[in-house]
Amino acid sequence: MSRIDIKAVLNFSAFRPEPDDSTASWRRRFPVMRTLFFGFGRNALSWRSIERTGKIDALEVARADPKEILSQTSARLKELTENGWCSVSVNTRYVISLETNLSRRVGSEELLKTNPRAVLGGRYERGKQYALTHNPETNSSILFSCEEEQTRRVETIFREAGFQIGRIACGTYVLLRHALGLVNTTKGSEQPVSTFLIVCCEGAVCALVQDQDRWLELRSRTDVYEDDLAPITDLLAPFQARLAPQIGITLIADEPLPGITERLAAVLPNRPINDLSQPGLLASLMLQN
Amino acid sequence: MQISGRKIDDFKFDRKGITPPLPILLRLVPLLFYCSIAVTIILSVIYLIEYRLSVQKRDSHTAQAESLAAETQEALKHCTGLESQIKIATDIESWVSGSRPLQPLIVEIARSMGPRATIVDLRLDRDPNAPAQLKLAIKLGTDSTKQLDFTLEKIAGQKYRAFSPQQTLGRNELDYIATLVWQDPSARSVQPSPPNEQ
Repeated sequence: MSRIDIKAVLNFSAFRPEPDDSTASWRRRFPVMRTLFFGFGRNALSWRSIERTGKIDALEVARADPKEILSQTSARLKELTENGWCSVSVNTRYVISLETNLSRRVGSEELLKTNPRAVLGGRYERGKQYALTHNPETNSSILFSCEEEQTRRVETIFREAGFQIGRIACGTYVLLRHALGLVNTTKGSEQPVSTFLIVCCEGAVCALVQDQDRWLELRSRTDVYEDDLAPITDLLAPFQARLAPQIGITLIADEPLPGITERLAAVLPNRPINDLSQPGLLASLMLQN
Repeated sequence: MQISGRKIDDFKFDRKGITPPLPILLRLVPLLFYCSIAVTIILSVIYLIEYRLSVQKRDSHTAQAESLAAETQEALKHCTGLESQIKIATDIESWVSGSRPLQPLIVEIARSMGPRATIVDLRLDRDPNAPAQLKLAIKLGTDSTKQLDFTLEKIAGQKYRAFSPQQTLGRNELDYIATLVWQDPSARSVQPSPPNEQ
């Protein structure tokens, strides 16, 4: 036992998870520390700081190459965090798709991280990272994949800027799972849910059609919109012809998008819209989990 | 259907050697450590206070003991003085008590002195081995033996009988030594044993 270990025991840090322990929630890892949440896009970098009390500050966005933004503003941004710890939401260069007949053995979601071939079989592609969400009522699954190279690039960019990364996640996928959790709350198939789930997260859009608990169609695009929301409606308009008449719309975004409900009502008329968006929703989810 | 939305997939490449947090129960170890330090400090302070109080008490008791010892010494000295005075008084009392039976004899000897005779020295000793006998040593300031005869008559009048008399007549001085034995009138039949002739 070294002196560092003894010090860690005496200042109780040995009883907290390490800052880069992905199995622990952000709040447990940094109970009284200021941290930063980044949104990493193709041509945009957003950030918001989390105070020691857990208060989420306002979102700031810079439109340029994230690497250049970080090189220019890292000194100022590092003042918003202690020891440079940050969490990154990757909003570009990933794929969310709908798959069927994937392995559902116990622990397959954990096995996906260490041995994805054992879970995905022929769908596995070398050099990719995966995450899975199974539909418990059907054989369909939502599969998230991104390039390992992209993750390493993000790690390198932030490390060179003097930050320490505690978590790299996909904001769209986090919001999608959160929305699925909010919509599908009843166990079993007695009360099937039908909805058209729309997820917007810093330029990325994901749309999932759920009809009577069945996932019928999923479309995910990154870097769709910036300030103008028209590309969102352009992407979603074709769904109107394929959606059943009784299906409503569930909208969730990392930040409330002004005017999006009116635009959606225009392209997807006569459908009730349930907007789950809240200010700082993604940061709040990242903080709690 | 029910889907949990709480899980967040982390794609960060985990650093090797990430250790899980220690069990919460083991928080007792640092807590006990800090408690022991606090108790040690408290006990040390209590010990220090008690030590100072004890030193003060010890000094006070030492001073009191010294004072009492001095008082005892003074009392002992006073007691010794009293004892010596008691001894002197007892001796005087004993002497007075012991000499009371001889007072009539001494008075008679003194009264027997004529106008031109003086008692230069008179000594009456009682031998502890023969307490019934008195050794008489008298020095008379006279040049005549008449005075001695008169004095011996007076001594005989007090029921004392002289044995082994020795007299020396000097110039205007007469030394007389004898052993006197008291004749008890109630025991006439018993003849006193004559003193050993030296």
